[in-house]
Amino acid sequence: MRGRPNLYTSYSSESRLFPTRTQQVAIGIAFLLLLLMPFDLPVIDQIPLIRFLGDNSWLRIVNRMLIFCIAALGLNILSGLGGQVSLGHAFFMGVGAYTAVLVGGPGSANLWGWGLPIWIWLPASGVVAAVVGILVAPAAVRVRGLYLAITTLGLVFIGLHLSRVFPEIAGPGSLGRKWPKLELRLWKEENPILDFSRDGHWFWFDISDNQKTYYFLLALLTVFALWAANLARTRTGRALAAIRDQDVAAEIMGVPETKYKTIAFAISSCYAGVAGALLASISGQMPPEAWDLILSVEFVAILLIGGMGRVSGALAGTFFVVLSPRFVEEIIEWMTKQAEGDGAFSGLWDSIISLGSGDFGIVSISETALGYPIPYSALDEIIYGALIVIFMLFEPLGLYGIWINVRNYWKGWPFSY
Amino acid sequence: MKHLSKLLAILLAFTVVAVACSSDDDTSSSSTSAPAATEAPAETEAPAETEAPAETEAPAETEAPAEIIYDHGVTEDTIKIGAIADLSGPFAPLVVQIIAAQQAYWDRVNANGGIAGRDVEFWVEDNAYDVPTHLERYEEMSDEDNGVVFLSQSTGSPHTAAIAEALVEDGLGAIPLSWYSGWPDPAFGQNVFESYTNYCYEAINAVDYLATNVIEGEVKLAVLSYPGEYGQDGAAGAKIAAEALGIEVVYDGEGAVVPGADQTPVITGLTESGANLVWVTTGPSLLAELMGGAAAAGFTGTWSGNSPTYNYMLLATALAPMLDSSYYQSTYVLTWNAGDTPGMADMVSALQEAIPDDPVSDAYTIGWTEAMAAHQILEAAAAAGDLTRAGVIAAANATTVDYMGLAPNQSYGGEVNDYIVRESYMFDIQADLFDAAATISGGGSTGSVLMNGGPIVSDITAAHVYEGACFTAG
Amino acid sequence: MTEIPMLLATSGFDTFVQTLFKALALGSLYSMLALGFVLIFKATQTVNFSHGALALAGTWFLSMLFIDWDIPGRFIPGPSWLHWGIALLLAMTVTALFGLIIERLTIRPMIGEPIFSMAVITLGLEVIIRVIADDAVRLTPRALGIPWGSDTFSLGGALVAWSYVAAVVMAALVFFAVWRFLRTRTGVAMQATAFDQEAALAQGINVGMIFAIAWAAGSALAAAAGIFASMSPWAAAGVASREGAFFAFRALPAVIVGGLDSVVGALAGGMLIGFVEIFAGQYLSSYANILGFGYQQVIPYVVMLIALLIKPYGLFGTEEVRRV
Repeated sequence: MRGRPNLYTSYSSESRLFPTRTQQVAIGIAFLLLLLMPFDLPVIDQIPLIRFLGDNSWLRIVNRMLIFCIAALGLNILSGLGGQVSLGHAFFMGVGAYTAVLVGGPGSANLWGWGLPIWIWLPASGVVAAVVGILVAPAAVRVRGLYLAITTLGLVFIGLHLSRVFPEIAGPGSLGRKWPKLELRLWKEENPILDFSRDGHWFWFDISDNQKTYYFLLALLTVFALWAANLARTRTGRALAAIRDQDVAAEIMGVPETKYKTIAFAISSCYAGVAGALLASISGQMPPEAWDLILSVEFVAILLIGGMGRVSGALAGTFFVVLSPRFVEEIIEWMTKQAEGDGAFSGLWDSIISLGSGDFGIVSISETALGYPIPYSALDEIIYGALIVIFMLFEPLGLYGIWINVRNYWKGWPFSY
Repeated sequence: MKHLSKLLAILLAFTVVAVACSSDDDTSSSSTSAPAATEAPAETEAPAETEAPAETEAPAETEAPAEIIYDHGVTEDTIKIGAIADLSGPFAPLVVQIIAAQQAYWDRVNANGGIAGRDVEFWVEDNAYDVPTHLERYEEMSDEDNGVVFLSQSTGSPHTAAIAEALVEDGLGAIPLSWYSGWPDPAFGQNVFESYTNYCYEAINAVDYLATNVIEGEVKLAVLSYPGEYGQDGAAGAKIAAEALGIEVVYDGEGAVVPGADQTPVITGLTESGANLVWVTTGPSLLAELMGGAAAAGFTGTWSGNSPTYNYMLLATALAPMLDSSYYQSTYVLTWNAGDTPGMADMVSALQEAIPDDPVSDAYTIGWTEAMAAHQILEAAAAAGDLTRAGVIAAANATTVDYMGLAPNQSYGGEVNDYIVRESYMFDIQADLFDAAATISGGGSTGSVLMNGGPIVSDITAAHVYEGACFTAG
Repeated sequence: MTEIPMLLATSGFDTFVQTLFKALALGSLYSMLALGFVLIFKATQTVNFSHGALALAGTWFLSMLFIDWDIPGRFIPGPSWLHWGIALLLAMTVTALFGLIIERLTIRPMIGEPIFSMAVITLGLEVIIRVIADDAVRLTPRALGIPWGSDTFSLGGALVAWSYVAAVVMAALVFFAVWRFLRTRTGVAMQATAFDQEAALAQGINVGMIFAIAWAAGSALAAAAGIFASMSPWAAAGVASREGAFFAFRALPAVIVGGLDSVVGALAGGMLIGFVEIFAGQYLSSYANILGFGYQQVIPYVVMLIALLIKPYGLFGTEEVRRV
């Protein structure tokens, strides 16, 4: 009887975060791999798919993925757990980012900034974003479904307008301003105690700035992910699930709708604020136009592709959506090499890739292509859109649904029909 | 729950220990090449001047490859040059043509023997006009093992500003695809090697030229611009000119033109102000809306704007007659097939061989001149025997780039006020010279006719003491 | 030296007339866009986020038909404006067919799934269609051959652009056509399907065909709106360009204010938002410093928020009756 999922023999075992032994071991191994990934260690080197992600040029995009994970977890709490459609996630990220630069950035003649250390500005970005979320929540109580989606869309445009009204906070349009770096100081001194944005030396080995940022973000993500996973099994989480499924019935049963919708918006905005502040900090300079509708839609796509409502779904979806453009490029490069070489199937690859003008192919590797054949920089976006459509058509539960199907197949084998 | 809090406690303890045992160094790993940098300037002074101006294509076989020192981005056979370009974002159509011209230039260089006997590998990546993506591409290109020795293009002002510090740390140089007046400032863009003049000076030159030579009677200036570093830099220049010439600015729309919104408030303000000269710093579609909307409200006046505001393709729209009669184009380089210079003849014939079926465009000149600058800098570095990244930077600071008449010649070393480029070009629009279906093979024109026979420079610009960007973020 | 004479509307009344025509035109464009959204939502309960991309595709088709292939000019003699009108109808038809294909491939299999999923499929479609259409129109911006170009005529002291009048006329025709359609058998069947799909099925209505008709009509309307929004003096100035695609998102507040499933609401909402945007842009322009430049972009959303707080389902939308 031990080890079978969904068979619980006590209440405490049902509400545990990682109920089965398999899950505990798997999470443990995954975490260990994540910790060791950026380093050139002999054992890790043998694992083909994981190791290259730790290379310096990949680490930056992996860091961005970790930040997007935090934001996606926030949206998951609001939309997946709470059932509130929101297209305004980019707005809350912007709020967090601008709080961070206001509290932590250097002030000057044209720009406001108080220059406080990270242990003030990072939590402040979360708190202020949560407060703004609380202010927005009453609209969600009044308005439902697609109307709510478009209302939150309006927030993005209002945010963009406010950034133009206050260039003292946001910096001039399309240029932005410099964000405070990820450095730990006690209070405004000259040299930081811990600097995540420059190469350095820990214990006995050299460590680069991307690797340090990776660990910092991994630690933050772990905390946030555990918090999000835990939320689902608390009273708040169950209340949100009740509201998502049938809010009128929930209200009748004694679950106050306004209170819990407000809590959902607050927590989700807090996540988004922190993620926005981190994204701006590692980018160094963000124009106000970066917090736009396309960013909001990307998070909705992440949740849908990964699986709405599950923490693992949000993480898997982020991995997929953020890294897939890079994977597509690597695949196209590999195909190009095959097409140019004399391998067995080079003819096949040559027919797909167009090496230059006049060469037949569906995808063109020439950077100067426009129109047909499709340049590979446009291919990223087309694949992104196609993924959304395909997942919605064939697997509405997303990657999590695919995983469930695979797991059930193997659990029931050889009786998998 | 107990297990969870235990786990967190262990993690916290580990972190505290790690923090206590760590140390950071401020110097970057590329500081090992610092000694080479101190030697290079003494060598590059003399040879650079004699070699750089004349040739763009003669092979530098005189320098045996074995004598040249190099570190990242250069091998015995190849020199890697990078470009981070917007290939799928808002500026893609133009940037794609710019890259096409650069690619044609480097192909010709390779066909003629390369640089110092090495082939040039031109590596282009897409940043989709997104700052985090730009940083990721930069990370790839600045990699010590697989990276480049010089960036011949970095698209976008915020993007280049985001990598400006990293460029100094990594010892890499980059040519920006942006003409913000902050790049010549060593405090803002030390390893950023800007091309041609900037939005601010261009505006001063053009407003002065038009007020003096084209407008009759008292000039009343209206300034319309995007918010942000591009729009407000150009607006700042127009206002500097107005103040120096005693022109009244009757409508100040600096930062008032917001893309994506209906432009009625701006058009209203403009038409009610009674202006007769309008300086616009926006993009082509906004220019179309402003000119069309103002004409529909009865406005008649002279229009002009910074170079990115106008796109010759507007002559294919319903706006063509109005552009012909009331718009004067200002640019940093010669437009397609305009002017009578050796550089233009050279470029046109080269592109006719390389990409004859592509449409004519003003964008090729920009890519061609960027590549010329990068080429001459690398030739100078090779002549000095130092193709390390630091050596290339030193060569750049000591070279004068000769654009063969396509643009005013450019150098980067010494006192800013001595080397900053102050000239720009002014064009009249003639719609009947433009043919939307024309390709490069036919030569042709994009409808711009050069005025003044060459570059213009205003007395105000010539006398201006550069102390940093005209428009500062703060 | 003599001053250059200005042909400006000097009197307040002339300014008002100019503003009125511009507002009518923008209101008509928004109403057409809103009507497309509403038709699709009424029948299939989906918000079609790819409406803007379909508008861009419509302008691309018109350019290909009229300019590149010279249809119907090569078959029928006659004046150029007649050919343009026929090409316009043909472009709308082609876009309708395109919408039919999309509906059959991606929306039909999704019947029964939650509404949010269907809306997200349209988001995915938007990316695909926009990237492909954008790619096609970007390399050489495609002229649309609009018969009246950027001409204007004077009404008293006021100057009015012909494209404003054209937009109003087109919207009137479109609304009239839809109104007549809703009185036919098929139109009544569509309203029945919108009310209750299962009951309509039970009554023998071919719900699948209703979906197809709704999508085709919605796509055709998107094409028409996109073409008329691409004229001078709107931003696209008479060429097919991405400005036409993003224009559709400006109409979302109009859709919401009117109510997602009301034809009357589409007209009312579109006109309301159009008037507010233009009149606020005209008469509040001197307060731009206080309101912040670009306030004209935010005002529709503010109006939408206020309207929603008063009537959460839009001014004319049907209130959702939720049974537990």
